Amino acid sequence: MSKMSVIDVKNVNFIYGKKTPYEVHALQNISLSIKENCVTGIIGHTGSGKSTLIQMFNGITKPDSGSIFVDGVDIWEKPKEISKIRFKVGMVMQYPEYQLFADTVWDDIAYGPKNMGIPEDEIKERVETAAAFCGIDSEIMTKSPFDLSGGQKRRVALAGIMAMRPSVLVLDEPAAGLDPRGRREILGGICKYQKESGTAVVIVSHSMEDMAKYCDELFVLAKGKLILQGNCKEVFSEGELLRSAGLDVPEIYGVVRAMRHKGVDISKYIYTVNGAVDAIAELLEGGVR
Amino acid sequence: MALDITLGQYYGTGSVIHKLDPRAKLLFVLFFIVSIFVAKDIYAFGLLAIVVILSLIVSKVPIRLVLKGLKPLVFIIIFTSVLNIFLSRGEELLFTKEIIPGFWTVNLYKEGLINAGLLAMRIIILLMGTSVYFSYATTPIELTDGLERGLGFLKKIKVPVHEFAMMMTIALRFIPTLVDETSKIMNAQKARGADFSSGGLIKRAKALIPIIIPLFVSSFRRAEELATAMECRCYHGGNGRTRMNVLKMKFRDYVFIILSMAMLAGVILVNIYANGFKLM
Repeated sequence: MSKMSVIDVKNVNFIYGKKTPYEVHALQNISLSIKENCVTGIIGHTGSGKSTLIQMFNGITKPDSGSIFVDGVDIWEKPKEISKIRFKVGMVMQYPEYQLFADTVWDDIAYGPKNMGIPEDEIKERVETAAAFCGIDSEIMTKSPFDLSGGQKRRVALAGIMAMRPSVLVLDEPAAGLDPRGRREILGGICKYQKESGTAVVIVSHSMEDMAKYCDELFVLAKGKLILQGNCKEVFSEGELLRSAGLDVPEIYGVVRAMRHKGVDISKYIYTVNGAVDAIAELLEGGVR
Repeated sequence: MALDITLGQYYGTGSVIHKLDPRAKLLFVLFFIVSIFVAKDIYAFGLLAIVVILSLIVSKVPIRLVLKGLKPLVFIIIFTSVLNIFLSRGEELLFTKEIIPGFWTVNLYKEGLINAGLLAMRIIILLMGTSVYFSYATTPIELTDGLERGLGFLKKIKVPVHEFAMMMTIALRFIPTLVDETSKIMNAQKARGADFSSGGLIKRAKALIPIIIPLFVSSFRRAEELATAMECRCYHGGNGRTRMNVLKMKFRDYVFIILSMAMLAGVILVNIYANGFKLM
């Protein structure tokens, strides 16, 4: 069964520094749709336009041409109501820990819901649920967000967006600058949130390993163009194209490719270590080697 | 909110003016500003206008760019001119009309018109001249270097010239970074439903708190990081510090300084002997 799309991007173009010598065509005729109830990944090298693209999802940036539809409604149809779109499409920017400002962690998480004009008792419930999702202990809720560690700050910032209960959660490099354990915790938490809440989640990253592990659907951007789309299998089997876009394929893909090169009959649709282990075990049991 | 301020409008063409020693340019601008405020006669303004036009031609900075830089000031220029037209008193009355009988009469004097015209010329020449030398043909770093060396003699009376210059350099360096950071934080708070453009004054001021606090926090963090980085490289103030590029006055710099003195002398002479329209 095909899923409904929550965000539709149609023929979007965006140019930075229009009519100056520094003009950059950051997005070229991009069309894609983000499906409901799954994790969508947007991959691209630095400067590929991925951040520009997602800032259009909630109307922070306006496309020069083309349209963005959220739940089938063109978001720029009524420019004055653009802030309502921001409650529908929750956006966690890069390094969101730098946006914390309130006296306590609790107040910071409650900032978004307060702006939405939600009644006090519901705010309380939302803040507590979001904090629990992000693994924030109740004893730090009364602390100042500036006293927390980097990883904790990021989780607070994430909870601040989750508490708004957007129908799409967009995250720009949510795991940037974290150690492997922090990455696992934050990305795992996001996926758990997705499964339990059923909202659509969009993750932007350039880490192929992470994307292979957590995403259902993938879009690959290079120099402002959409070059690939599909599920992980389809995307990661295009190793050469990904490499030419300046992206690293998951390392295990290199192993599999080398094996195929040597004449081993192994599927090219393998992009996780576990998948490779299974496939190789099967080959060994079958006595091919 | 317009955050894309064009900062550091340096326009490199590699012309002679670009290559001049920043100290020579500082001296020129000093003489230029004195000249423009000494000038009274329209011919003196004409002389200064020629200086500006020659500078533009020699520096190869496109005139379009310089005029664009004037744009935000058009209002001020028009405002002062209009005030001058109606508020100056002179001898030759051109036009008079009672707007509110017995209370407010508008008098238009010939001198008022001349004053307005000359004042507008003064502002335009001043802005164009200084911006060519200071922003288009000199990088901010060169400028602070020039100031530091040029005012070096003040060190003898214990003025911390180097420290001031270093502070200026760092401040200039961080303007674009802070502009960038502000727009990032604004976007992040907008994404959380912040509203900066509606409501009364107090509500709007309050809406800025979620921007100002993170901005302060990150500025302090940056300052601390920068201080650490400088200390790691053994920075301990100006004493005994050598530079990679030592400023050296060349022949052309001396010629340029003599020319700027000649400009001031010329303006004073024209003021005395010429007989054009005069600024009151």
